[in-house]
Amino acid sequence: MSDLFSSLSLAVRSLLADQGAIEVTSNNVANVNTPGYSRQEAVFNETPPLQFGALQFGTGVELATISSDRDNILNIRLSQETQQQGKFDSLVNGLQQIQALFNPVAGTGLGASINTFFDSFQQLSTNPTDPTLRQGVLIAAGNLASAFRLIASGLGTQQQSLNESVVQQVGQVNDLTSQIAALNVQLAAAQVGTQSGNALLDQRTQLIQQLSQILDVQTINAGNGNVTLTTSQGVALVVGAQSFNLQTQVNPATGFQDVYAQGSDVTTAIQAGSLGATIQLRDQEIPALLTKLDTLASGIASAVNTQNQAGFDLAGNAGGNIFVPPAAGPGAALNLAVAITDPSQVAASSDGTIGSNGNALALASLANQNIAGGLTPAQFNAGLVAQVGSDTAEAQSQQQSAGLLVQQLQDQQGAISGVSLDEEAANLVRYQTAFDASAHVVSVIDELTQTVLNMAGAA
Amino acid sequence: MPLRVNPNLSTDFFAELQIVRRQQNQALQQLASGSRINAPSDDPAGAAALLENQSQSDQVDQFQKNIQDLQPQLQAADSALSSVVSAVTQAISLGVEGGNSTLGASNLQSLAQEVSGIRDEILGIANTSVQGQYIFSGTLTKTAPYVLDAASPSGVSYQGNTGVNSIQLSNGQTAPINLPGSQLFSNPGGDLFGALQQLITALQTGTGVSAATAALSQAFSLLDNVRTFYGTTLNEFNNSETFLSNESVQLSTQATQIAGADLAAATTTLAQTQTATTALLTSQGKALSLPTLFDFLP
Repeated sequence: MSDLFSSLSLAVRSLLADQGAIEVTSNNVANVNTPGYSRQEAVFNETPPLQFGALQFGTGVELATISSDRDNILNIRLSQETQQQGKFDSLVNGLQQIQALFNPVAGTGLGASINTFFDSFQQLSTNPTDPTLRQGVLIAAGNLASAFRLIASGLGTQQQSLNESVVQQVGQVNDLTSQIAALNVQLAAAQVGTQSGNALLDQRTQLIQQLSQILDVQTINAGNGNVTLTTSQGVALVVGAQSFNLQTQVNPATGFQDVYAQGSDVTTAIQAGSLGATIQLRDQEIPALLTKLDTLASGIASAVNTQNQAGFDLAGNAGGNIFVPPAAGPGAALNLAVAITDPSQVAASSDGTIGSNGNALALASLANQNIAGGLTPAQFNAGLVAQVGSDTAEAQSQQQSAGLLVQQLQDQQGAISGVSLDEEAANLVRYQTAFDASAHVVSVIDELTQTVLNMAGAA
Repeated sequence: MPLRVNPNLSTDFFAELQIVRRQQNQALQQLASGSRINAPSDDPAGAAALLENQSQSDQVDQFQKNIQDLQPQLQAADSALSSVVSAVTQAISLGVEGGNSTLGASNLQSLAQEVSGIRDEILGIANTSVQGQYIFSGTLTKTAPYVLDAASPSGVSYQGNTGVNSIQLSNGQTAPINLPGSQLFSNPGGDLFGALQQLITALQTGTGVSAATAALSQAFSLLDNVRTFYGTTLNEFNNSETFLSNESVQLSTQATQIAGADLAAATTTLAQTQTATTALLTSQGKALSLPTLFDFLP
């Protein structure tokens, strides 16, 4: 049979257990607003009973572990959706900046300059010798060229800043992966089911979420508290204690920074996260738009030059170029410029006589001819604006649905891991009551012990 | 154990609030601009259609301007030719008078002088310029079409050419806008200056006055016929103007159909989002101040 002292130690153990549970509760309450904090629970265990002859006596309770409430599968899903959200956030951001260059409502874009340019030839046809109307053609040509240059250089500037952002984001990735590798080491050494272990897990989950904002990362639970992180293509980023830095290296063909992982070029493999969006904007969206701008610019410039050469200027000489002929390859829009400064060199005449307007009419009618990629300049420009608009609209709607999905998953995660003050209050009362009771047991045993001691004194 | 709910109510609230605010902004933007399309992404196809519509309507404006700019020139030509017609009519009656055999040589001489005066008047009219451009010299608009030339049988020589300019009245429709003097005043089918010179010589010599008068009448009727070109073209201008202003109205109606904001709908949306915002804020205000169990513990 047990003795009074073992009863005393039983009561003390329960005091310790309750005290620990109160500590867990107060830690929960303290972290009610901490991002990434998973609520913790004190898990009590009945200690093994002692055998006395035929009887078994309980030995009380112990605080076995402090578990933290998290759902790893949910976290992985959240990480995946965060990658999409990060991607579409950055895409929308970038596309809205691009769209601002093409917005006719805000007075940007090419539409007005194209119309004015061709209409200036119409106007010239009404009085082909009028120096003011001739000057009008050159002014409209200059405005058209500068509208092209403005948009092309705006896109170029954005491309450049996206390129710088690639380097910055790769730096952030490396920073995060090295922190995660360090946490892997600490977690391998930490005891499972302690507050410090739980805090490290929370930290690592947070860091993986941050990493997911930037690129598509796959999380594999490798046991021993380790996670292995790879890119979606399987190139390792973190394995145990080891993190592998991404590198950037200038691609001599494009002049932009490519991303390398352990020696292989992974630039095109990064499809999600803000880095994926940055690369997509820099390497696909903007180059595609620049190519179209070049098609339009060189289409207009060559057709106008050819037609001007078919006519005669005010002096009766054969016409020359109105625009500097665009060089083959990219840059037609960026370098579009007017070749002549003398308005008399506009070849309005179709037969060399001073008052003929035949070629001015022919120049004006280019507006309705398919001189740009099989379309009229106005149609081509409208298509360009529609493309920018629909790319932006699509990214916006995907951003919204990705946002809603992340929101939902965060809600679920909150339902599992979030701290509820009501629960904590109830737990606090429970543990306090149990603590009070155990303390009472101690004082009763103290009294009993006194009684026994008094008995001994009386004898 | 019942399903646990997310104890943090704010995340849902802020997401909802964002959605409502976005709708609110859109409605406000539509009401402010009157347009449904404030950026290409609002309606990419609509934005493209709007651009093409704008391009067409810019062209229509330009066609209208073409007509307005050229109307004075054509009217000047038309009224110049009317003066020529009355001058020639006078010359013909002088010729008829000269054909009367009772007239003496001195009278014929003075008639010849009068006709010669009329010829000079017509020469001046044929050399009419509008805004520094000779309107009857074909496309050599900086060259006076006729100069006196004693060596020429017609007494003048034509310095212009046979060039004819056209302008665009609408897409696919062009109209010539000038007649060269060679068709009006020195037409091989009835050379006006030639006939005048013939009459002057006939009156001076007193022979062949009737034949010369007949030649002048022929040249006159040809001119009277050819000059209807200007009246016809001015008519065509008027028709085109009507057509173009209809088209302009149509295009702007079309633009409104493409991009015009449904103001009633936008106003309703605005009111709805205001209600929704108030409801959200009220409920969130209540939610934030909800008591927890801690408030009831002693």
